[in-house]
Amino acid sequence: MKKHSGSAWKYLRISGISLLLGLLIGAAVIAVLGKNPFTAYYNLLQGCGFLEKEKYAGGRSQLSDLSSFIDYLTPMILAALSVAVAMKAGLFNIGISGQMLTAAFTATVLVGYSPLPAGIAKPLVLLIGAAAGGAAGALIGYLKYKFNINEVVSSIMLNYIVEYIVSFFIVTRFVDPISRQSRPVSDASRLTLSEIKISGIKYDIPLGFIVAVAASLLLAFILDKTVLGYDLKAVGANRRASGYAGIHVSKNILTAMLISGILAGLAGVTYYMGYVATIEPKTLSDVGFNAIAVSILGNNSPGGIFLASIVIQIIDKGATYMSSQQTLEVEIASVITSVILLSSACGLFYGEIGEKLRNARTAARKQHRGKEAAQ
Amino acid sequence: MSDTEYIVEMKHVTKRFPNIVANDDVSIQVRKGEIYALLGENGAGKSTLMSMLFGMYQPDEGEIWVRGKKENIVSPSYATELNIGMVHQHFKLVSNYTIAENIILGMEPVRKVLGCIPVVDIKKANREISALSEKYGLQVVPTDVISDIGVSVQQRVEILKMLYREAEILIFDEPTAVLTPQEIGSLLEIIRTLRDGGKTIILITHKLEEIKQVADRCAILRRGRLIGVYDVAATSTKKMANLMVGREVSFDTEKPPAHFGKVVLQVENLTVRNEDRFEKVKNVSFCIHAGEIFAIAGVAGNGQVELADAVAGLVRPSSGRILLGGRDITEETVRGRAEAGLAYIPEDRQNCGLILDFNLKNNEALRKYYRAPFAVRSILQPPEFDSYAEKLIDKYDIRSSQGGDTVVRSMSGGNQQKAIVAREIEQDALLTIFVQPTRGLDIGAIENIRKQIVSERNKGKAIMLISLELDEIMDLADTIAVIYNGEIGKTAPAGELTTNEVGEYMMGVKHHEEA
Repeated sequence: MKKHSGSAWKYLRISGISLLLGLLIGAAVIAVLGKNPFTAYYNLLQGCGFLEKEKYAGGRSQLSDLSSFIDYLTPMILAALSVAVAMKAGLFNIGISGQMLTAAFTATVLVGYSPLPAGIAKPLVLLIGAAAGGAAGALIGYLKYKFNINEVVSSIMLNYIVEYIVSFFIVTRFVDPISRQSRPVSDASRLTLSEIKISGIKYDIPLGFIVAVAASLLLAFILDKTVLGYDLKAVGANRRASGYAGIHVSKNILTAMLISGILAGLAGVTYYMGYVATIEPKTLSDVGFNAIAVSILGNNSPGGIFLASIVIQIIDKGATYMSSQQTLEVEIASVITSVILLSSACGLFYGEIGEKLRNARTAARKQHRGKEAAQ
Repeated sequence: MSDTEYIVEMKHVTKRFPNIVANDDVSIQVRKGEIYALLGENGAGKSTLMSMLFGMYQPDEGEIWVRGKKENIVSPSYATELNIGMVHQHFKLVSNYTIAENIILGMEPVRKVLGCIPVVDIKKANREISALSEKYGLQVVPTDVISDIGVSVQQRVEILKMLYREAEILIFDEPTAVLTPQEIGSLLEIIRTLRDGGKTIILITHKLEEIKQVADRCAILRRGRLIGVYDVAATSTKKMANLMVGREVSFDTEKPPAHFGKVVLQVENLTVRNEDRFEKVKNVSFCIHAGEIFAIAGVAGNGQVELADAVAGLVRPSSGRILLGGRDITEETVRGRAEAGLAYIPEDRQNCGLILDFNLKNNEALRKYYRAPFAVRSILQPPEFDSYAEKLIDKYDIRSSQGGDTVVRSMSGGNQQKAIVAREIEQDALLTIFVQPTRGLDIGAIENIRKQIVSERNKGKAIMLISLELDEIMDLADTIAVIYNGEIGKTAPAGELTTNEVGEYMMGVKHHEEA
């Protein structure tokens, strides 16, 4: 076990350096704009409920900020897990936003506008979301399995197809004439208990977070401890050798895309029927794309993704409060996030440099010692 | 003795890589116009030393002198300026370009169209290359495309590439590894001609006979250190071998007489097509008995890999039947065949036989991880992986830095191969297919793996051995079959064929009808 944690440390270090670099460059930009970067970063944490703000609007508190933050965090964790499971099998699922939309739209239409009570509606939303997302993912996997169509191409295409089909139905059937979005889903079906008042303070309680935690644990278990996980990782690491070992490569590609789709579907319902309650036509959410970067920052491991999601979402969500307090642009958040993600993508490169330096140093030391011994 | 007598001098050169000292205080001096051999096992540091002379690496310590002048060879292009050329073990040719285009690449003769637009003067290039090839007796057709020509012609192209760049010092890195006996003979002849034409040759090899045949002097490297420089004519092959390995070695694998049992593998009228629907194996039939080493000799690319893949189930044959232990396995999956008693050591150990980014214990369990005791109800049992890996590491002497937790990518080629052989032999299969089992390994590892093959055969296993190395086939085979152009031309008990005869069948010079 010890040796495993060695490589885990290595990735944690890479991600740590990336984070530091992002914050430093962000700080430099903020300083150039004439603001105090420390206060700005302090504001980020305040905005997400990790630190106390000076004053709160009526009916809100630090804890209610934290609850909205977790609400915002939930879909990201699920979406990034979706990226990770595909990547483990050597696939690049860039269609997560489309799969999210497929799942959310199906669940919205089937459950969101129905009069079902909460106890039935909520589990049903999760179930339908997982099924619809899984089907969308499996379709991509099937196209690859049967016709060897590159998953990147098919998933981008499906993103467009889903986007326009969903828009068509929303605009023609389910539109809210004022907001020009889909009509909000019923509170009974929504996965976030929005603006719940407990002793005078309002909270957004994200029930989906339990799903995200459970999914992280389950995925970690599958990848590390099961035959399926071994198969998926083997296929991801080397398809030819997997075939040689008797692993059914195509079937595992299909399975990986199915799991990835299910996770994307869950991300979809926790976003469109949790964090928000409506679907905006002709747009795909950023979550599915940012999740790719989050997954890389988290080294495609469930634990890493959990941490990486928190970091990225703090910067993203906290930026609103920071900008209102410091009269800074919200886009500063994108600057910081981009640098973090860019440098974590280059992470292995740092790792190699570090290793070279270390080797050079040990070699020099050995030689020095050798010389001393000779004398 | 003046310094100018030596065209190349490397003085006290040391080169370190992470965790290894590739060259440790090595000094060599090469005279102008000699064939100087560098002899050593794999990993002895021969290629590293020459890569520094060719500017691919810089030494950490020490100096390189060329023609009596100290040089800092910063890049291969600077080495080319110093008239140093190198033929790498793996050819560096653009496969969809013609021979001439490959040779001139980077220094194309240019003519001006309309007096100003520069274009490559391919006609001039073709002329120049024809002249060059005639001068050195290296027959090539400049307009042939690389992908259409054989390995030995490709090698000639590499040599011409150096000569076109007016190289005076020619480095050959294991040039005979890919050639047949006949081709080796003509290559050595070419090398001699080049020397007689005033070139200086540095020959990297671990094959002693070649050194004996052409080299004037020979430097022996062992584990990065120079053991000594010997006059080839005055040193016996045996002595060179012992110096190279650092202990007494035996070349002949001890092999008691064979006792054939019943038929284990029966292949009937097997035809295999590749992705382009081209027939790589044509209507091949043979059978292998228990306790028999059935060796298939052939020049690379004559269908032997496809044959092995088809028997192992990695490719579907287009017609024919495969029976293992009397059971028809033609439609069986890879895993089904493995469970029916088939083990396979593939040619491409790094991309097929191993998952390089997995650790050693996961690779050792690659055939068994999905069933008890490695997995119980689809849940992996890590302690089983650990103890199984430990057992194999111990039994097969697999060396790695962190035991079962070592990422296989970081292991040496020889130990990677040992890991595969260990895994496959431990399957205790009826039939084991070995494809090029000792390719690229050093003498110690070769000895070890050949012994394993013979001991498996002695245990009554059927062995299908596919090798490009004729020595290996002659050493190990009980039955020799020669594959040429997808067909098995000649099958005979090992004693009935000489090396030269097998070589002729391999080249398609002799056909079975004539025999």
